[in-house]
Amino acid sequence: MNKIIRNLFIFLLIVFFIIAFSSSYLSLSMDNLAYVLVIGIDKGEDNNLEVSFQFSTTTKSTESGSTEKTPTVMDSVSAPSLSTAINLMDSYMGKELNLSHCKVIIFSEELAQEGISEEIYTLINDTQIRPSANIVVSKCKAKFYMEQTSPELENLISKYYEIFTNSSKYTGFKPNATIGDFFNAIICKTCEPYAILGGISTEKPQNQGNSQIQQNYDVKSNQTPIEGENGSENIGIAAFKDDKLVGELCAIETSTFLALRNQVDRFLVSVPDPNDVKSYIDIYVTPKGNTKVDIDTSTTSPYIKVKAQFDGRIYSMSSNSQYLDPTILNDISETCNKYLEAVFTDYLYKTSKDLKSDINGLGKYALGNFFTTQDFDNYNWTNNYQNAFFEVQIDTSIKSSMLITET
Amino acid sequence: MTKSKLGTIEAIMLVLIIVVTHTISSLPREILVLTKSATIINLIFVSILAILFSYLIVRLMKNFAGSDIIDISEYLGGKVFKNIIGIIFILYFLISSSILLRNFCESIKIIYYPMTNILFILSLFVIAICCVNRLDFNASLKTNLLILPLVLASIIFLFFANMNKFVPQRMFPIFGDGLFNTFVIGLTNLSAFGGIAFLYFLPPYLKQPEKMKKIALISIGISAIYLMLCVATLLFMFSFFINTNEITPLYNATRYIEFGSFFQRLESIFLLIWILAFCCYLSITSKFAMSIFKKLTNIETKKPLIDIFGLLILAITLVPKNYAISDKFETEIYPYLVLGICFGLGISILILANIMKRKQKKIQANSQTIS
Repeated sequence: MNKIIRNLFIFLLIVFFIIAFSSSYLSLSMDNLAYVLVIGIDKGEDNNLEVSFQFSTTTKSTESGSTEKTPTVMDSVSAPSLSTAINLMDSYMGKELNLSHCKVIIFSEELAQEGISEEIYTLINDTQIRPSANIVVSKCKAKFYMEQTSPELENLISKYYEIFTNSSKYTGFKPNATIGDFFNAIICKTCEPYAILGGISTEKPQNQGNSQIQQNYDVKSNQTPIEGENGSENIGIAAFKDDKLVGELCAIETSTFLALRNQVDRFLVSVPDPNDVKSYIDIYVTPKGNTKVDIDTSTTSPYIKVKAQFDGRIYSMSSNSQYLDPTILNDISETCNKYLEAVFTDYLYKTSKDLKSDINGLGKYALGNFFTTQDFDNYNWTNNYQNAFFEVQIDTSIKSSMLITET
Repeated sequence: MTKSKLGTIEAIMLVLIIVVTHTISSLPREILVLTKSATIINLIFVSILAILFSYLIVRLMKNFAGSDIIDISEYLGGKVFKNIIGIIFILYFLISSSILLRNFCESIKIIYYPMTNILFILSLFVIAICCVNRLDFNASLKTNLLILPLVLASIIFLFFANMNKFVPQRMFPIFGDGLFNTFVIGLTNLSAFGGIAFLYFLPPYLKQPEKMKKIALISIGISAIYLMLCVATLLFMFSFFINTNEITPLYNATRYIEFGSFFQRLESIFLLIWILAFCCYLSITSKFAMSIFKKLTNIETKKPLIDIFGLLILAITLVPKNYAISDKFETEIYPYLVLGICFGLGISILILANIMKRKQKKIQANSQTIS
């Protein structure tokens, strides 16, 4: 009898728990969820936000077996806050929005200039948002950016958004700016947040030929000479001070930013040919070890010494290239050093004097100069960064060209 | 329980389980909030102190071979004092484990079961404890022996997998909020070594009581290294734990682990391991609480106590109205409970009992010389 009662009790307990946990299971069931891939946030009317959501849909297979480009669905809603927008969209879609596969969060430039901390805090508070989701600041409306994004080589837009920052490792043209890092930087006392600069390839730079762009790499989103099926482009950095957008960095400045943060494997620079002032040599530079930073904080104007070492391989060739001659390689190394020193110095002074924002996180190198947090707080690094002076030392060693050494 | 004797490794794991489960909850964050960038120095300092304290405890207990703190209390102040101390330790084990369980379940609810009433999540743990406690004490210990290395390995993995995101400079300014804060106020971080509480109860259960010193030193040493890894992971990765309160900080760190686009979202594995560790912790603490109760009441078997203690734990977990209250207990009251009971009360009893024993020895020696 006792055994029957015990088994009955166990059975009832199991049923009880199944019922109790079924509500959570149902809420997480795929049938009840709408997976958001991208969130675009624009400034709407009457202090509202215009929030756009891009959803994934199921893949259709053709008769031949090849997979067609998966269509995406995009809907927008105007609401006073991001959470209200999500709630309204839940109701409209008849499904709960799930942000666990959200790869990118796009803010319009207009909104970013006013501050986005509220949206960032709300998103980071959501258990579904991954800290690896990228943050893009769009030069145009976020919704338009999303509409124009049409990956050419990927069938799944989610795949494109997952890998679109990979090229930063070998081009240095865009950072891998994630919401986790952004949130960390908003609170951090030694650094400022940054995001990927996005735009639409509609505006063509005027009076600027390809050769000049190659020389300077001073292009950024909305100003590139790229033409293609994918309407959107991501080149450069959106620099923030606290949670407000304060400026933009072009391609070569982004490479410098990444080199300073030791986040780039190699990048291409065009340096003047020491033997022919009119022509340029393209060199793939590879950082040799981590960039060394030393900061003197004895005055309110921090004196920042930056030392970086690079290996270089000559990429461009012409009919009279002599890259087996050590003297020529030394000359090119010297020219490369001067060029990179100028680029690094200009970039650092731009972040300090123009942007007044330590997006490089150089402040962390100053922490060791202080014994207590109080001392560091009193020094007021974030404000004093604008008084900083920089000394840049670059040591480039050009190894050779690539397959062809002499022509 | 006395039938099954503890080996050295089992005893070490027993002490470790308290530290491990508290780090899964909010312990690393509390340590960071208190001592900020000086946390590494502070942890080295409090670890040395904890090792010294554990050595002191072992030395003081040496004169009472095979006795636990309850027996020593009886020797010191008779049955009434023994009952008082016993009840204090029962309450300490039950309340601290219950509130820790509540906080952990709140995290699980937020992360995985948003629509489920917390009572059901708590009940699952309590049912698990009740089932395990019906088995022999050895069953809990052996399970603990299997699970704990997994937890330790997961934390080492967490440290190395996130290493590329570390900013080691965050350990500066080296003295955080100042010397006083680091070395005086920071003494509160001694509460991280709550595992010392088990040292008072181990002697009667050890296969080789002479290895007590080894057990104490190794377990506190490993606890120190483990704590250091947890805290360093958070300190070097995030700037916000010092200013922002996030639930289960280590879980937050697990979300950053990614190896390409294939190995992502490993946090579920971590959580599964941690849930198992939690069950081990709860079954061990409740078993210790029951054995103290058994000792106080002289009952023959603890079987009737299993469900009562399970329900008691469930009842205590339901006392806090919300997470704010249970978190307040864990962050503001629990550290002082550990300091007061494990370090203050326990060591005081041992010192007084040793003095008493010495006096008695002297009296005995004097009476022998007179006779």
